[in-house]
Amino acid sequence: MSATLTSPALEKFESLDWPIRTVENWRFGAWKNANLSGIEMLGTGASADLPAEIEGASRFVFQNAELVSGSHAAVTALSESFGPESRLGSPKLAALHAAKGDHGISITAGGEETIEIIHLVTGEGLLLPSLVINAEAGAKLRVIQRFISTDAAAAVVLTAVDIKLGDKADVKYLVTQELNRESKLIRFADSAVAGSAYAKQAVIHTGAKWVREETHSSVTGSDGQSQILSVALPDTDQEYDQRTFQHHGARDTYSDLLFKNTLFGKGKTIFSGLIFVDEGAHGTDAYQTCRNLMMTDDCEAHSMPGLEINADDVKCSHGSTSARVSEEEIFYLMARGIQPKLARSLVAQGFSAEAVEKLEDETLEAIAIEVIERKFDEVD
Amino acid sequence: MSSETATVQQVAAEKDDIGNFSYPENHKFDAGYGLTKDTIDYISKVKDEPAWINEFRHKALEVFRSKPMPTNWATEDLNAIDFDAIRYYLSDGATPKRSWDEVPPEVLETFDRLGVPEQERAFLAGVEAQYDSEAAYSNVKEALADEGVIFVTCSEGLKEHEEIFRPWFGKVIPVGDNKFSALNSAVMSGGSFIYIPKGVKLKHPLQAYFRINSENFGQFERTLIIADEGSEVMYMEGCTAPKFETATLHSAVVELVAMKGAKIQYITVQNWSSNVFNLVTKRGLAHEDAEIRWIDCNIGSRLTMKYPGVVMKGERARGEVISIALANDGQHQDTGAKMIHAANNTTSNVVSKSISVGEGRSTYRGQVHIPKHLKGCKNNTECDALLINPKSRTDTYPAISVKGNQHVTQHEASVSQVSQEMLFYMQQRGLSETQAMSLAVNGFINDLVEEFPMEYSVELKRLIDLEMEGSVG
Repeated sequence: MSATLTSPALEKFESLDWPIRTVENWRFGAWKNANLSGIEMLGTGASADLPAEIEGASRFVFQNAELVSGSHAAVTALSESFGPESRLGSPKLAALHAAKGDHGISITAGGEETIEIIHLVTGEGLLLPSLVINAEAGAKLRVIQRFISTDAAAAVVLTAVDIKLGDKADVKYLVTQELNRESKLIRFADSAVAGSAYAKQAVIHTGAKWVREETHSSVTGSDGQSQILSVALPDTDQEYDQRTFQHHGARDTYSDLLFKNTLFGKGKTIFSGLIFVDEGAHGTDAYQTCRNLMMTDDCEAHSMPGLEINADDVKCSHGSTSARVSEEEIFYLMARGIQPKLARSLVAQGFSAEAVEKLEDETLEAIAIEVIERKFDEVD
Repeated sequence: MSSETATVQQVAAEKDDIGNFSYPENHKFDAGYGLTKDTIDYISKVKDEPAWINEFRHKALEVFRSKPMPTNWATEDLNAIDFDAIRYYLSDGATPKRSWDEVPPEVLETFDRLGVPEQERAFLAGVEAQYDSEAAYSNVKEALADEGVIFVTCSEGLKEHEEIFRPWFGKVIPVGDNKFSALNSAVMSGGSFIYIPKGVKLKHPLQAYFRINSENFGQFERTLIIADEGSEVMYMEGCTAPKFETATLHSAVVELVAMKGAKIQYITVQNWSSNVFNLVTKRGLAHEDAEIRWIDCNIGSRLTMKYPGVVMKGERARGEVISIALANDGQHQDTGAKMIHAANNTTSNVVSKSISVGEGRSTYRGQVHIPKHLKGCKNNTECDALLINPKSRTDTYPAISVKGNQHVTQHEASVSQVSQEMLFYMQQRGLSETQAMSLAVNGFINDLVEEFPMEYSVELKRLIDLEMEGSVG
């Protein structure tokens, strides 16, 4: 077969441009990092110590693009990308995933399931994992996806997830990003709630050099609910760039977003969020909060919480704050014999925990807290 | 009843003629349509300007041409501006150009209902080229001169007070700040230059009315206000009556400089007619312990883009923006604030309230910037939007950048509508639905309206009543 064979996805990828500075969705962002021209795909992966098993969960393990273990009746292995769409500024990256994505899993279930996916990332190069979650009517799914480096090489993980919920479905989805400090993660997360379903997604960022995350949540069924949670803990030479979109396309829909960033060293965060309420989507209830806890004098937080409201009779609000741990809280703990440094750390961990608690699932919360605590130990 | 008012009512009766009027064009100076180097030379020549200003204008023209429309973040509606169909310099001389017969009845009706004084009406409608306030305010002018206050046109300022004017002119808002500040720099005419000497605290607000000039409410006015150490001034522009204007593009630049411990309040009530693109750049520079407040109310225009800013350059400087916007059918009020903290212990406050009626759209766009190695900076931003009708629209796009852990910033925004319970309660007590809605809207902005001088706040309330008519029921 000739080497000139191309797919429509590849043609699309080649016709698009890499992000540039003037694209509004890249404001404050490190747009140059998104230029992946010339990058090679990752080769064979390696094994590593795995986190403790979750009781009752089916575990799938990838070593780079290869699925090395796991099987479940509701899961099929993917050998190509499902073709994510970028709505928040990175169409070329989405097209790259669509054209060259070569592994992942697809979950289609109507019952109660817990699925854990571990991506072990090894070597220098590009990895393009996919995840499809199709929660049929009445399904109750818990999905945990972890990205873990096995070495210190500079990998680029460009990953996409597509979550669809049928009527009365309930999905809880947790992502932990524990890559090494040389790697980059680019992540597209799309969720669509049709009917009166409840999607809850949370992401914990502790690793990587640079993260670009585009989360798009759409609620188009009356009484549908979507919750988006994030805990990010950047340190020196770490930058987390998160863009979100909360779309309300039907009457009486609900969405809530809570992002908690704790910034150490010269860490940097960018949050840009938009609540978008369609014409006629009356009775919408939408909230968006981004809080930055500044631990040092060298960290940097950019927040762009936005609203676009095209219907009246809605309740929408957003808030953003940036501040350090209050002296009163430190004083309170010191009065009880706790050293100031520990006091500050305790308050900060409590700050992150507020987002984690919203998962309302002890198993998932425990995983999230464990990852967060590890980072706190590391920065101390 | 004066003969003028009688004519007003006659005109008001002839409703068929709405939209069918035109003005006799008979300007003493007219730079023609479109913008070229010749336009600039024409303006410089008519105004008999020094060479450095002419050069400044030419450079600005190049910058204007090189900059793209900011549609990567702003509305596509900007592309509707046809720069070749605009006349960049018109000067009427001193003779009246319009007769009452040519003023649309709805404008006259508004004047009536607002209770605008007759002399002022004539000026606002363009029937008189000047508002004859010379006599009324001569005492004030004398008092100002006694205290050493300079209050002249921008043209006079740059010619006669170059030593004060030139060091600050174009420094707060550089030519290349944005496409429209460049445009203004190229073709500016009209506007004021004000200098308040050290320690002088003006008790009365200065108004654009005080100074009489046919260019006063021009399309491209340029204002520079310098408040020297420890001085205080309040400046008011605009008025609450609809400005009856044929021009479709208004692009002003206003620069404020508050020296150590000085205080400047700049109050604007913008009510251009609904065919005007109002693209304005306003920024103040606050030195040590200085305070700059922008109090801004936007009711008119087709599209307003205005984000008053304060650069807090000295320690303990303070910046504030208080903003009210009302967007009705066919209007987009894109307003906001920029707070640039550039010294320790600086504080800024932004309070913005918008009301969207019918298919109107209001937007808040804000920027708060706290750079590295500062301490003790504080920002508070609140923006509340009220939606009146099912197709009303509102957007909020703030951007807050904070570096370091010695600052406090908070931003909050909410969107709501007037509750049915509230309307029902008021209707139970005998108010019509419209009256109830007006009362609720006035209540929503009441705490901000109090920041305006008394006569403005009274007119504002009446104006909101007018805008709310026909919005419900």
